[in-house]
Amino acid sequence: MTHFRNFFTRKRVRLMLLSLALLLSGFALYLDITVRMHFEGKRWAMPARVYARPLELYPGMKLRPEQLSLELAMLDYRVAADPREPGSYRRQGDEFTIVTRPFKFWDEAQPALTLQADFSGTHMDTLTRQDTGKPVTLARLDPVLIGGIYPAHNEDRVLVRFDEIPPHLVKGLIAIEDRQFYSHHGFSARGTARALVTIVRGGGIQGGSTLTQQLVKNFFLTPERTLRRKFTELLMAMLLELHYAKDEILEAYANEIYLGQDGNRAIHGFGLASHFYFDRPLSRLDLPQAALLVGLVKGPSSYDPRRQPARALARRNLVLQEMRKLDFITQAQYVAARAAPLGVVEKAPEGTSRYPAFVELVHRQLRRDYREDDLRSEGLQIFTTLDPLAQTSAERALTGRLTQLEKDRRLPPKSLEGAIVISHSQNGEVQALVGGRNTRFEGFNRALDAARPIGSLIKPVVYLTALERPGSYTLATLLDDSPLVWKSRGTDDWKPENYDKEFHGQVPLRVALANSYNVSTARLGLALGVRQVMDKAHRLGVERDLQTFASSLLGADSLSPLEVAQMYQTFASGGFRVPLRAIREVMMADGQPLQRYPLSVEQVIEPGPAYLVTQALQTVVQEGTADALKHYLSPDLRIAGKTGTTNDLRDSWFAGYTGDRLAVVWIGRDDNQPIQMTGAGGAMTVWGEMMARLDPDPLIPPVPENIESAWIDPATGLRADASCAGAIELPFIRGSAPTETAPCGAGSPVRTIKSWFERIFE
Amino acid sequence: MRKMHRVVVFAMIVTLLAGCAGMLPSAPEDRPVSDNNAVVALMDSARTDVAGGKPDAAVASLERALRIEPRNPRLWQELARLRLQQGQYQQAEGMATRSNSWAGDDKALRAENWRLIGEARLRRGDHQGAQAAFDKAATPGN
Repeated sequence: MTHFRNFFTRKRVRLMLLSLALLLSGFALYLDITVRMHFEGKRWAMPARVYARPLELYPGMKLRPEQLSLELAMLDYRVAADPREPGSYRRQGDEFTIVTRPFKFWDEAQPALTLQADFSGTHMDTLTRQDTGKPVTLARLDPVLIGGIYPAHNEDRVLVRFDEIPPHLVKGLIAIEDRQFYSHHGFSARGTARALVTIVRGGGIQGGSTLTQQLVKNFFLTPERTLRRKFTELLMAMLLELHYAKDEILEAYANEIYLGQDGNRAIHGFGLASHFYFDRPLSRLDLPQAALLVGLVKGPSSYDPRRQPARALARRNLVLQEMRKLDFITQAQYVAARAAPLGVVEKAPEGTSRYPAFVELVHRQLRRDYREDDLRSEGLQIFTTLDPLAQTSAERALTGRLTQLEKDRRLPPKSLEGAIVISHSQNGEVQALVGGRNTRFEGFNRALDAARPIGSLIKPVVYLTALERPGSYTLATLLDDSPLVWKSRGTDDWKPENYDKEFHGQVPLRVALANSYNVSTARLGLALGVRQVMDKAHRLGVERDLQTFASSLLGADSLSPLEVAQMYQTFASGGFRVPLRAIREVMMADGQPLQRYPLSVEQVIEPGPAYLVTQALQTVVQEGTADALKHYLSPDLRIAGKTGTTNDLRDSWFAGYTGDRLAVVWIGRDDNQPIQMTGAGGAMTVWGEMMARLDPDPLIPPVPENIESAWIDPATGLRADASCAGAIELPFIRGSAPTETAPCGAGSPVRTIKSWFERIFE
Repeated sequence: MRKMHRVVVFAMIVTLLAGCAGMLPSAPEDRPVSDNNAVVALMDSARTDVAGGKPDAAVASLERALRIEPRNPRLWQELARLRLQQGQYQQAEGMATRSNSWAGDDKALRAENWRLIGEARLRRGDHQGAQAAFDKAATPGN
């Protein structure tokens, strides 16, 4: 007994307690480090968020009511009989009442506004504040969120910040999972006690978890259920609460929690789940949708809304009921939410972005200026140039036309592919980018990466090079379209042919381009010098190396649709090179402006020749290879464009511009097999259908000061009297119009002059 | 003799006036920049931003205005003036040239654009080019 007592001397007890405390604190320290490491790893990786352009609203703007409806639908604005909440609207015929969401733009914050907009036809008539009745000069809708740039190890997450989580979702979580969340220290005494009782009774370990404990549980890879693990989790939860604020813990929870399964892929976090079940960003969920996600926390497979809709509905309604009990929602909200359908999209969308091809372009442009790590972790906000209305038109036209073309030409279904780039013709902003007919596919982006022979799309460059020498070439100059054999050492003779297999003798320059004659173009290009022509293509904005073979003059070189767009942009903007841009501004996570990508212009082509090329490209549409465009768009729009077709009909191209937009369309096959269609038969029909939906502005280029016009007899290329039959009025660079006159009428000198010409050329 | 005298005086006045045109200050004109109020408002906010030392915000506003009216030469000119102030001479010249392409027969506007181009070239050290631009600014009809 004394021995025993001796053993437990005070000193010894103290020593033992001390070592136990040391051991415990060592363990706690270890846990502390582990838990913080886990937490920090989740917390600081915030993706860059990518936004479309905000829709600017002002009286007189070109916008159809259906387009505004579409924009509001893409923004997930709710239809309401009496719109009061930000993000809701009402449409009655051509009248809209919209309550905008407040938004912090790059340059200013705009509060929520209640706007009244009236339309007449294709334009907005008036725009007023509903509360004051005063006219509004200019307002913006919040921009559509189009994607994110995610942390590498979290490719498959849609991380959200606390302020992006709908308040309903937070309240729902608290109501059903952890009512004391905002007051406890990481664990609930009652819950733990209940759990202990269950364990003592031999009922296994379960339940009683706070949100903090659930989060900690997610840090471990295995769902082990031992007393030790339970104890460790408890300690870690308390430690987390010591270090972090409640909202931070909730944010981490929202990004971690397991909410479903898509084959092999686990759906973690409310952000991704929102896309997976509803195909919309988390911040846009309404009350019943938020309640459904909250309900899933308990068991994503038992309450899977796609497989177990009845159970999911019951679970959702239970969440709503608990929220109502705590007065988190009003009775009216409760009744309305209970009555709502599940609202889950039938099939989980392929990716989380609606416009992956465009987001990829944005990502590439950002990588020139930012470190990949920063893009994926700093929570940057990227404001882009994407116009969702243009994008939607482009996607619909491409997918619709490709299916139709396959049917019409008895091609195997899904064999055709395509790509589209649309930009603003004056400022170079990329408004739409389609990388293939499966527009949600995040893989091969044909608009950026499919380099294909451009065929006749190169011809305007040949003609530009000629028209820059007004002493030798004008739109009226007769070109030689007779058989050509080009001999070059070390290669076979080159004998270009026309598409119609005919030769056309003497043809006016503008007609040769309008009909896309190969032989006269090749002969012209050879006279100018292949290198000179290719240098001109570089000057227009092509950066890729180009060959200088004779066949390059007919478009043997390959370019991507985006590169073609850059080249034609210079034509569309009257000889000014305007770099294509997909980004306007970058803002930091805290709303501070970081960087702008400003508009820049450089004159690379004299205005005179640039004007003449546009004039010639308008002739292509009026009377040349693209004249069938009139079935889609009025000739009054005076659209400029060029068809492109490659050998054995493998590629179908169309590049063209209106007063406000430039667009390039490519159609072909990924395996490069023939598709049996010309530029006019394929790509141009997509272009026409797409543009028709966008109400293009007519193309009226400004007339440069050194341009004058003259009446010409097309047959001879000589000056004619305006009253002569067949005479046409053409623009010339001052002093380059022919001086010799070809009078009209029988027996006139026209014949002699013509025969004189014929003698020269024969 | 008297007639001759009058001609000489007239010629001198014309030369003087033409010379002055090239040196006109960049005073903003009184007439509104556009009949579209949204464009006017954006132009105003750009000027406020310039005065407040926020040139980037001013550029952003002008670009917004240009999206609404890409053919408005006065917006392009304002952008040229801003770029010149910011020391971006190449862009200043590009914008002023673009403004000229939309200027039509607005001679005063063209003269001011040429003056801006001359200024930009001068500051880039291109004296010959600058002189050519100033000459254009001084030529009626430029």
